[in-house]
Amino acid sequence: MGKKHRDRSKPAPRIVAVSPDDGSAIDLKNPALAALLSWCLPGLGQIYQGRLFKGRLFMGAILGTFIAGLWLGGGRVVYASWTPGNTRWAYVCQAGAGLVALPAMLQSLHLQGPAKQPFFVSSFMAPPLTPGQYVSRDYATSLASADPDIEAEDFFDRPPWRQSRIDEVSIWHRRFGRWFEIGTLYTMLAGMLNMLVIYDAWAGPLGMPTDDERKAHRNAASAASQRKEAPK
Amino acid sequence: MTPLAMFAGLMPALMPCLFATLVDRVPGIFFGLPLMALASLIFAATHHEDPAEIRFATIHWAVWLGGILGLVLAGLLLLGWFA
Repeated sequence: MGKKHRDRSKPAPRIVAVSPDDGSAIDLKNPALAALLSWCLPGLGQIYQGRLFKGRLFMGAILGTFIAGLWLGGGRVVYASWTPGNTRWAYVCQAGAGLVALPAMLQSLHLQGPAKQPFFVSSFMAPPLTPGQYVSRDYATSLASADPDIEAEDFFDRPPWRQSRIDEVSIWHRRFGRWFEIGTLYTMLAGMLNMLVIYDAWAGPLGMPTDDERKAHRNAASAASQRKEAPK
Repeated sequence: MTPLAMFAGLMPALMPCLFATLVDRVPGIFFGLPLMALASLIFAATHHEDPAEIRFATIHWAVWLGGILGLVLAGLLLLGWFA
């Protein structure tokens, strides 16, 4: 009864934001879709909205930093792990960078699953092995052949599985030193800054007070302090 | 001449020494600079639409961020010396 129906003959109202620079309208198109696209690939939401300069800028900056961090940390710094004693909170921030961080989740879930090996049977973005962890024979063999610090003797034979004797994260720290932390920081910051990019795609540029607003705020504050100081 | 003015006058001469000390004391400090630049760029670009304004705001944010982090670093170095 009380429902209001939109007149289909009229075009749907556009959702717009106002540019803080020249006051022009920015067509946000479908903000939810733009935000999702910006999570998937940083800057893609802005490109979808026709804001090409910002889209390319965000894409280059965020993806560049994420890849640089991954490279600095020897490709090991992005992984998801929720096992006790090996919880990787950094991944919460890294996941903000979008699809580029998603293989880590896939690798982790598959390694914890019944197959006991990562989705891609390689150590790319796979969580580190902990002492006592069971893995498939294939994964143990591939690790022993690919990693110079891991040997076949580092696994107990527990048919049909292999049981790890190594603490892989210690090996990574010994091998990469402070680059592991620097790489982690780069990838975390890329993910966290992408949150701002997603918000920009969702709601347009963040508000900054204009000079007039600042002046009005200052005047109001000084008037309030004068009232306080004035004798009653 | 006030002490503040004297300090400001000495700053250009002190800056290279201060920077050399920082590089010596904080290994890997150069890897923090791109992160500061990135944060400034993203902050600026999420507050503006015009490329020229983004450029200007990036420098503005970088100066503030560098100043604040520099003060924190200087404080930590001083604490390290006196500890």
